[in-house]
Parts: sequence; C-alpha cells; structure tokens
Amino acid sequence: MLPDETVIKHILADAGQSDADIQETALGLVCTLAPSVVASALAAFKESELDFATLVDLMGTDTGEEIELSYHLRSFTRDEEIHIKCRVAYDSEISSVWNTYPSALMPERETAELFGLTLSGHPNPKRLLTTDGVEPLLRKSSVIRTLQEVRDR
Amino acid sequence: MTDARDIATEAGMLAPEGTHHPGLPPAGIRRAPEGVDGLTTEHLIINMGPQHPSTHGVLRMIVEMDGEEIVSAEASIGYLHRGIEKLAEHRQYNALGTLMDRGDYVSGIHGELASALAVEKLMEIAIPAKADYLRVLLSEINRIASHLVWFGTFGLDTGAMGQFLYAMRDRENLVDILEGITGARMMFNYVRPGGVLADLPAGMAAKILEFCSGFDKYIEEHHDLLGGNEIFQHRVKGIGAIDRDTALAFGLSGANLRGSGVAFDVRRERPYAAYGEMEFDVPVGSTGDSWDRYMVRMEEMRQSNRMIRQCLEGMPEGDFTAKVPRVLRPPEGEVYAAVESSRGETGIHLVSQGGDTPYRFHYKAPSLYALQALEEILPGHLLADVVMIIGSTDIMLGEIDR
Repeated sequence: MLPDETVIKHILADAGQSDADIQETALGLVCTLAPSVVASALAAFKESELDFATLVDLMGTDTGEEIELSYHLRSFTRDEEIHIKCRVAYDSEISSVWNTYPSALMPERETAELFGLTLSGHPNPKRLLTTDGVEPLLRKSSVIRTLQEVRDR
Repeated sequence: MTDARDIATEAGMLAPEGTHHPGLPPAGIRRAPEGVDGLTTEHLIINMGPQHPSTHGVLRMIVEMDGEEIVSAEASIGYLHRGIEKLAEHRQYNALGTLMDRGDYVSGIHGELASALAVEKLMEIAIPAKADYLRVLLSEINRIASHLVWFGTFGLDTGAMGQFLYAMRDRENLVDILEGITGARMMFNYVRPGGVLADLPAGMAAKILEFCSGFDKYIEEHHDLLGGNEIFQHRVKGIGAIDRDTALAFGLSGANLRGSGVAFDVRRERPYAAYGEMEFDVPVGSTGDSWDRYMVRMEEMRQSNRMIRQCLEGMPEGDFTAKVPRVLRPPEGEVYAAVESSRGETGIHLVSQGGDTPYRFHYKAPSLYALQALEEILPGHLLADVVMIIGSTDIMLGEIDR
C-alpha cells in the first residue's frame, strides 16, 4: 500500500526538493512540496521505479489562507499510493501536469474554475462546469445563501 | 482560409490545438491531408446535444468532421452542475448520503456507501457484521439494476430495440426489491454512517432468491439477444479500443479499465464492507474495445448474482447498525474512501476540521475520467460510432457534473 519513504526522498532530491515534508497520515503517505517543483516531481514519480502511472484524483481545498492542491497517484504494478500536496495563493497561476498525466485534463479545469486559479501549459484552459462570471464557488468566501436570503426564507 | 474550425475556436467551442496528448499514439487523422492540386475537404463542426437521447444525460459533444471521419472531439459539460461538493459543506454528516444519491442516480447505494465509509474511517466506527452483509447485498442488487440500464440503452445506441424491453423488465423487479428494502426506488438514503437504515423485511430474502434463479437464465437470454447478434458484433468489435497505457494515463476505472486488461477491482484490491468474505471473479478484457467492455459488464452481472446468493446464505444475526450519536462530530483529519460502483472507482476525499459538517467533501467521479478519455479515443472513428463508444463507456452525467 505505502511506498518506500527513502526511495521517495531520493526521487524528490533528484527533482530539486531535498527537504520535502513526508508524513504518514490517515490518508496514506502525504508529501508536501513547494508549488514550483510539483510538476517536475510528478514527472519524476511517473518515470521512477515506483511506476506511478495513474493520477487517480486531483482536488483543491480552501484552507482559509490559500488553496491546497492534492494529487492522488497510484501504481498499479506495485499496488502503492501516494498523495502529493502543495499550497498556492489565491488567484495565482498553477502549471498544468497534463503533460505528465493526461487524466488531469478535466479535473484541473474544474479545480482552477471552482477555486479561482489560472492554468498554464494546459491545452484547453476553459471553464468546465459553470458559465462566465460565476464566482469561484468552492472558496470559503463564496456563500450558498447571502444574509439577506437567509432572512427572507 | 477561415474554416469551420477557426470559427469554432474563436467562439470558444474548441481547444485551439486540440487535446490530443503528444505522449500517446495518434488515434486517427488530425487534419485532412492535402489532396490533388492542394485542395482539401472542408471540415464540418457538428454539435451533438445537450438534449440528445443517446448521450445518457445532458452531454454536449462538439465533433469536428472530415467527411464521415472524426478529426477531433470535445465534451462540453456542466448542464447538471448542482454544486454537490459545496452543498455537502453545509450538511451534517448523516445527510451526505442524500446528496450522493443525486450524483450517480442510477446506482445510488454505491455513492452512499462511499460517503458512509469515509465518515466511518474518520470516526473509527466499528460496523456490525450484518450491516456489512446488507451493504454488499444492496450494492450488488443495485449493480445489476444499473448494468441493466446500461445494457438496455447500449443496445438502443447500436440500433437494437427488443433487448431494451427485456432489460427493463428485469430492472423493474430489482427496483421493486430495492423499494421493498429501502422505501425508495432510486434515492435510497439507505446506507448511513454506522450501518444501514433497516433490516430485510419478512419474505424479502425469498423474493430476492426467486429473482436470482430467474436471472441466471435471463442473463444468457440477454446476451444471446444482443451479443449474439452479428450486426451488433460488427458495430462493437475493434471499435473504441483503449490500450492499457492509455487507460492508465487517463485514470480509467471499473469495467473500462478491466476491459483494457488491468485486473484492478476495488472490491478485490481494497476490500470494504463484507467483500473480503465473498467469492467472485474479476473479468478482464484484452484489447479494450467496446466488445471487451460489453463482455466485462455482462460477466459482472453474473458475478453480482453469485454474490447476492452468498450474502443471503451467510447473512449473520445481530444488529444492522452500530450505536452512533444523532449528530456526528468526527475529529480533525483527512481520509479517502473508495468503493467499486457500477461505473468504476467512486471515491470520497473528506476533510474534517471538527464540527458537525465536512470542511471539504470531494467526490471523485469515475465517469469524469472516462469522459475525458473520449476526446482521445473518438478521433479516427465514424460519426455513427460516437454514440456507441459513449454508450460502451457507461458514463453518467449526474456524477460528472456533480
């Protein structure tokens, strides 16, 4: 289930992140990186002996201060999983990992749209679920009912 | 020269360079080759949907055609977006199941189960053995019901009519059984954190067994009727092939992945509920074409039927739910729980910061990954195959849009 930590540290050092924070949590092995090295680290993971061939899932979380992106990788040959996380500022630009994992095509569009981020290096950086002008719905600052609507109920 | 593609790109309908991934083998023609005297054929942009009977929901496909052949395809979605993930942040934990029912609305039990498993993982609740068996029983009944909808509509996509009625006849019996157990035909809210809503009512086990013995015969009839048809075989064999690497690269799961030869089933690899005690086979395809996906799903129905019998035979005595507080307040933490739904790996990534509502509730929908793979697979096929390839991947727009 859980990949070897020393191998992971070795791969990350090659990708330019020698002081990565690796923790074993209820989620599994969680590895927190700087946003600038995520794309290269994911590429290194895919090419490595750990053979993380699939991006199972990609999601964002509004922590209240910034957006936390979470990439869930799986190796089918070794049956191992890892979660890669990074934190980016609101309204910032994130570099697409589509080149490494084609399965990021739509989840990245969705995450960028719902958290108000912009994509670079993506073949189709359009909105996915909502129309132009809709605010980033999954940010905590976006409410499902305004105070006025609550009063009027 | 301004052609249809340029106009469509300018209007924001199509990605300028297309979404073909350079690392994957070319799926078909990209641009019409220059013909005699530098003449080329004009490309046509065809809009399919969102209201189209064979798009299994409200899916809009924008297809660029060179004659009868597809050059590029793009899916436009969001017509069913209800903000399930946002709404979940304002619901108490035991109300999450109602939202999940409305995600993948043809197999609601799996969605409910995924959200319940995530909450239980966070709170470390021990589930009574009987609840585990009831969860498996209902999951497998729901899987057959869902696969029958796929089977019926897939036949319609290829132009066959008769088998749809037979599939719906069997599904009706299953939906009646589900209604007898849960009280609802589609929006069950049956699986709750801690267990399930209710035990099997008196006489229900006999009714389910009666269905099982009938279905042993009917499933072969269904297969003969559609799969035994030579016209159908010509329409699906070798069409919409997804090789192993492409399937992994696009994160496919469920029957779509197994059709491409990867024997990964969440029920087998990450057993949840009582699946560790069940005996079942995981069917795998070889070439990953529509026929393989068809055969995998047909075999899954036979295996589900087998598991339903095992559940009824081995049903333990005891409570059907653990004692859980009325308002659930999990500790801080983050978990991922996955189930094998009818469409693949349905996962819930749940973040809690204490309190009685989730901080973040992410619904990993297997159909979304199958849909984006279509943009890669469709080029090179004929327009008539679009509907059929969509049908063979069994996508569900309710969970794609969420």
